[in-house]
Amino acid sequence: MPTHTDESAALGTLRQEVREFLMTLPATLRTELGGVDTWLSGWNIDFTRALAERGWIGMTIPREYGGHARTHLERFVVTEELLAAGAPVAAHWIADRQVAPTLLRFGTEEVRREFLPEIAAGRCYFGIGMSEPDSGSDLASVRTKAHRVDGGWTVSGTKLWTSGGHLAHAFIALVRTAPLDASDRHAGLSQLLVRLDDPGVDVRPVISAGGHHHFNEVVLDDVFVPDHRLVGEEGDGWMQVTSELSFERSGPERFLSTMQLFEQAMADPAVAENVADVDSGRQLARLAGLHEMSRAVAGSLQRGEEADVSAALVKVLGTTFEGDLAEWIDQSAGSASGVESRTKSLATRGVIQRPGFTLRGGTNEILRGVIARGLGMR
Amino acid sequence: MNTIDPDLLQVMRDVVRSRGLIDRLDQGVDGIRLEGAQWHQLQELGLATLTLPEEHGGSGASWLESAALLREAAAAAAHLPLVETDLLAAWLLREADLPVDDRPRTVAVLDESGHSPLVPWAGEVERIVVLAHADGRRVVADLDPSDVDIEPVASRSGLPRSSVRVTGTVDGTPVDDGTETQILLRGALGRAVQSVGAMERIVELCVEHTTVRVQFGRPLCKFQSVQNLVSDIAAETALARSAVDAAVTDAAITDLAGPSSAFRVAVARSCVGHASSTVIRNAHQVHGAIGTTVEHPLQLLTLPLLDWRNEFGGVRFWDRLLGSTLRATSGSVWELATGATSAEFDKVLMEASR
Ligand SMILES: Cc1cc2nc3c(=O)[nH]c(=O)nc-3n(C[C@H](O)[C@H](O)[C@H](O)COP(=O)(O)OP(=O)(O)OC[C@H]3O[C@@H](n4cnc5c(N)ncnc54)[C@H](O)[C@@H]3O)c2cc1C
Repeated sequence: MPTHTDESAALGTLRQEVREFLMTLPATLRTELGGVDTWLSGWNIDFTRALAERGWIGMTIPREYGGHARTHLERFVVTEELLAAGAPVAAHWIADRQVAPTLLRFGTEEVRREFLPEIAAGRCYFGIGMSEPDSGSDLASVRTKAHRVDGGWTVSGTKLWTSGGHLAHAFIALVRTAPLDASDRHAGLSQLLVRLDDPGVDVRPVISAGGHHHFNEVVLDDVFVPDHRLVGEEGDGWMQVTSELSFERSGPERFLSTMQLFEQAMADPAVAENVADVDSGRQLARLAGLHEMSRAVAGSLQRGEEADVSAALVKVLGTTFEGDLAEWIDQSAGSASGVESRTKSLATRGVIQRPGFTLRGGTNEILRGVIARGLGMR
Repeated sequence: MNTIDPDLLQVMRDVVRSRGLIDRLDQGVDGIRLEGAQWHQLQELGLATLTLPEEHGGSGASWLESAALLREAAAAAAHLPLVETDLLAAWLLREADLPVDDRPRTVAVLDESGHSPLVPWAGEVERIVVLAHADGRRVVADLDPSDVDIEPVASRSGLPRSSVRVTGTVDGTPVDDGTETQILLRGALGRAVQSVGAMERIVELCVEHTTVRVQFGRPLCKFQSVQNLVSDIAAETALARSAVDAAVTDAAITDLAGPSSAFRVAVARSCVGHASSTVIRNAHQVHGAIGTTVEHPLQLLTLPLLDWRNEFGGVRFWDRLLGSTLRATSGSVWELATGATSAEFDKVLMEASR
């Protein structure tokens, strides 16, 4: 693990600013707070715009691209507070978290100018175009193909599990640009930025067990992608996607998805009577520990260090914790069944969403492999 | 500011690793004694009383250096009364304005009848500092072991533990009422740091063992289920380390008198305590039968963990205090978890240690 990172007084002040901002939101937005798993499913453009106005989207993007040139630790504090409050941040989440850093590191100048200012303004939303029907954990097996044509590429294939794909403007697709070489499966992959309203793109809903439309299947049929939307180098897709994943895996969303359920349950007398202090205390300690651990990773990203193993450590523990919270509270609230309480409805959402926590962004089994590799066991 | 001088760290490591784990296997059978030669070496290097101010003959270092030494010693199974001498006894004598030096000491917190059921190292050290009751006040005295009754009690790891009894009134120097709570916190954090040192070494032993041991024609580390067991040890250990680092960094600044010091110690103790369950279970699982024997060094690390987690408040003691705080608080769980101040926790702790 990276070394402990302190929270400076300035960061503490920023934390308070976010809390105040949330408390003084106009009523229409304030009622949107308090949800479970809102970074993936709380899509609210008005909220996103309000955040952008405060300068809290694209915080780490340099000013010349419309960003705010702030540090990873500042972004960490702001995102932690938003997540803890169950704020609806899904619209800009992926663009802000992983697309912006990826474009800054690998994108062409033209693509940066086109997308970064729009992302920072809270007007441009992204999905993730990694998984496919036959490629989940084994991401290197993707079959979506891009062929060189005059001035760019044509892309064909099917992406699956695209969160928010029906609402997003674009995604970065991981595609095969050279035939599979069985001796080096990670070669021949590239990342292409695809606009989801381009001709040949068909976004089809996939309905979740809870009845929500969140996932999509994105069918790409000879979609033209101009040269400048190749992200990074042709053939470097695997290296790039791995670096993108360490941003995706390390954040506070990996332990805070059910924080509002914890809050609500502790304030609910009908639940409190079924909860033993030793159990709530243990959960509180784990929460505080994960907060420290996650901040240490943010500090290490700030210093430009490799964070893939430490991000995996946080994600394995964090996603298990946020799911266990939902499970524990649902069982404690169980006797109140039939009563339509707020705790119960959040708990329902928590236990139904829970299976996704330890799958998305790389399953915990795959991450344990990443940790084992870091330990030198593989 | 969160890291210590690498040269100093190397010096610490050289001292405590002067005997390897294999040379220490007898500890499991014969119990643990205070090694005079090693203590002398620590005294020479100024490591025996690291945090004691220089004007009192110490090294004037902070909790950061102290934590590094404790981790290194625990990782080497080099057991010495460092927490007891430096963090507890020397600190307590200073609080009472009594003279202090770098002889090995321990602290016995006596009840009103003059008894303390579990005092670490009491039978081995040269002086016993008691925090006693006298005329309705708390007093401190630096006693010779021959002035007290020492009855050894069994520990799991062979670490020396005793029941200590003092008959008659202790003629001591009065100290603040909050002193007992401070001793609890200092001891609790010291044990948490030692535990992390042991757990980090356990991760190394697991990687080593599974790399060397071959079954079904392959090293164990190539089996995914074995990798998973070890990954979980590493993850729990990393969480424990993060929680402990947060408390140590706080202590380095506030000497545990800060607005959230006690809360951070409680969080560290909870995370360490629960981590120890996974760490011990999985480490023994991947070591197979050999790890359960006195011929293998694993027990030199796992058994002390089982002692330490029950000293200065057990795991559930700290969990319960945190839970009661949640019940009592008017603010949010999140504010408490990230809080710069935790007055509510301090109140709950005060009541518990009354
Ligand atoms: C809520 C949610 C949102 C998502 N959003 C997106 C998105 O926006 N964009 C996107 O591209 N993808 C998204 N995903 C997809 C996600 O990345 C995949 O679900 C994940 O990578 C696992 O792939 P899979 O579902 O095909 O499962 P599989 O890979 O088929 O795995 C099934 C089970 O087998 C285990 N397994 C597989 N291989 C191994 C192995 N080698 N060793 C041990 N165990 C193994 C897995 O851990 C898992 O338990 C999302 C998923 C969820 C649940």
